[in-house]
Amino acid sequence: MMRELHVSLNQTQKVRLQAAFQHLSDIGSQASSGLLVSVSDTIPVNNEDGILKGHGTSEHDGQVVATLCGVVERVNKLVYVRALRARYKPEVGDIIVGRVIEIAPKRWKLEINFSQDAVLMLQSMNLPDGIQRRRTVVDELNMRTIFEENDVICAEVRGFQHDGSLHLQARSQKYGKLERGQLLRVPAYLVKRRKQHFHDLEQYGVDLILGCNGFIWVGEHVVPADNEMVEDQESTLKDKEQSYTPLEIRQNICRIANSVRLISALGFAISVDAIIDTAEASKSSNIDIKDMLGAEFYVQTAEREVQKRISLLKKKRG
Amino acid sequence: MVGLSAGERQFIYGGIAQDLRSDGRQRLQFRPISVQTGVIPQANGSARATMGATDVIASIKAELGKPAPLRPDKGKVSIFIDCSPTAAPVFEGRGGEELSAELSVGLQRCLLGGKSGAGAGIDLSSLIVVEGKVCWDLYIDGLVISSDGNLLDALAAAIKAALSNTGIPKVSVSVGASGEDQPEVDVSDEEFMQFDTSGVPVVVTLTKVGRHYIVDATLEEESQMSSAVSVSVNRHGRVCGLIKRGGTGLDPSVVLDMVSVAKHASETLIAVLDSEIASAEAIDDDDAI
Repeated sequence: MMRELHVSLNQTQKVRLQAAFQHLSDIGSQASSGLLVSVSDTIPVNNEDGILKGHGTSEHDGQVVATLCGVVERVNKLVYVRALRARYKPEVGDIIVGRVIEIAPKRWKLEINFSQDAVLMLQSMNLPDGIQRRRTVVDELNMRTIFEENDVICAEVRGFQHDGSLHLQARSQKYGKLERGQLLRVPAYLVKRRKQHFHDLEQYGVDLILGCNGFIWVGEHVVPADNEMVEDQESTLKDKEQSYTPLEIRQNICRIANSVRLISALGFAISVDAIIDTAEASKSSNIDIKDMLGAEFYVQTAEREVQKRISLLKKKRG
Repeated sequence: MVGLSAGERQFIYGGIAQDLRSDGRQRLQFRPISVQTGVIPQANGSARATMGATDVIASIKAELGKPAPLRPDKGKVSIFIDCSPTAAPVFEGRGGEELSAELSVGLQRCLLGGKSGAGAGIDLSSLIVVEGKVCWDLYIDGLVISSDGNLLDALAAAIKAALSNTGIPKVSVSVGASGEDQPEVDVSDEEFMQFDTSGVPVVVTLTKVGRHYIVDATLEEESQMSSAVSVSVNRHGRVCGLIKRGGTGLDPSVVLDMVSVAKHASETLIAVLDSEIASAEAIDDDDAI
């Protein structure tokens, strides 16, 4: 469940925030690509023949009317409305982060913030010993040694099953179990599809994975290990303490996690640059990590975004 | 409640051990608290308190009633908490009953003192109209709208704010009633008495995770707790109530240590809460004008 960031602003801060959002919508309307419609708005179609009415439209009194709130898109003869705040819509090749909720015969079921649970087959997962071989019954019985319930896993969408649920694969070294960090949930529409979803932030020593389904993993940098199976030992308390994440990396992890929380609370698109900018801004203004979620930095981040977009628009205009 | 993987649990443990929690707080720091008063105009007093993502509403209704025969000089207060299904799907239907009962009993213990009424944070004798015959019954209702851990502290803060927002109508007793008759009372619609909340305590819950205690735990941190001690402290530093939850046993020295840590943490909480309530009341007054 998405837990919103509750920020209580005083009067001046409310005024500043409203001004910033007003600026942003002004800039947005200057740069908009399509027509914004809400439910039951008529879509101007100029009475052409053979117009195909796509998703989010319907016929009413001879006119094409929108059934969603969103942007009108047009592809030759197809007219459809693309919703802005849609549920996560998976595509093949998406990188996602999910949590194991069930172990079924020869497969793991993962929760990925979609209408159905995704399936990760045993065959789509590398065995710990690294050998490419047929999965035997013993492998099936030992599935729990690879992934247990509640484990956080990074995988790629391989395809769709016949009932619409997702098929995942995690064969490469960069996919697999995620440990030593924290998982954040943001609305899925804020994470845009990019070339890179794995980000190794070397200057912080932090791994950042932006799952297209809205699950974001921020954790300590882990070198993709060779295929060695670590025996599950009963580690003593001392061992556990020594293996805690070092304090400096932990501070960076918390700073980046708070940047993500802040950006998603403001409703801005989540990208690595935005996250790093926010974290750097908080560091340079000497803002304490926990104060990043406070009212003052919230308003400052909105104002900074306004400045950024104004300068971007100026650059575009040349 | 979503489960946590072993790796995430390790991370939370490590954070608490190193005094840097997942959102950057230290062990004894609270999340930002905000209070709004007067959110339910039909009630005698109401308030909404948020601690981070935990959101609760408290409302107070006052009705005239008869005092208990064993305590003729004290009014009656009853506290009832309800967990709304909007907070978590598991609260739908009867799912939230256990938690609601636990919170209600906990708050009663913290705010109303012992069975005899001794040590109550709320001054019950101020609720008397005619001794032995007529008193005010206060019904305190709490509603959990959004749950992200630390419900007891948030509810106690909301109740404290609601009490400071409460106006008890002035009552004039008609002279001449005598003996066993119920005296005639005239409840004024215009004049109100503000409730005195200087003695109302706040609740600080200390959650024990591993070897350390944290204040204001989020839902994920609460899932890792071994035990939790909730201490209700008033502004003079006196302990008004004590509750221990959780299955793991605690050594008495640990309990005493937690009580003193809670007292220390309560000082900041009382200061923040007082300023929040004052500013909320000021906004209320501005709106009224």
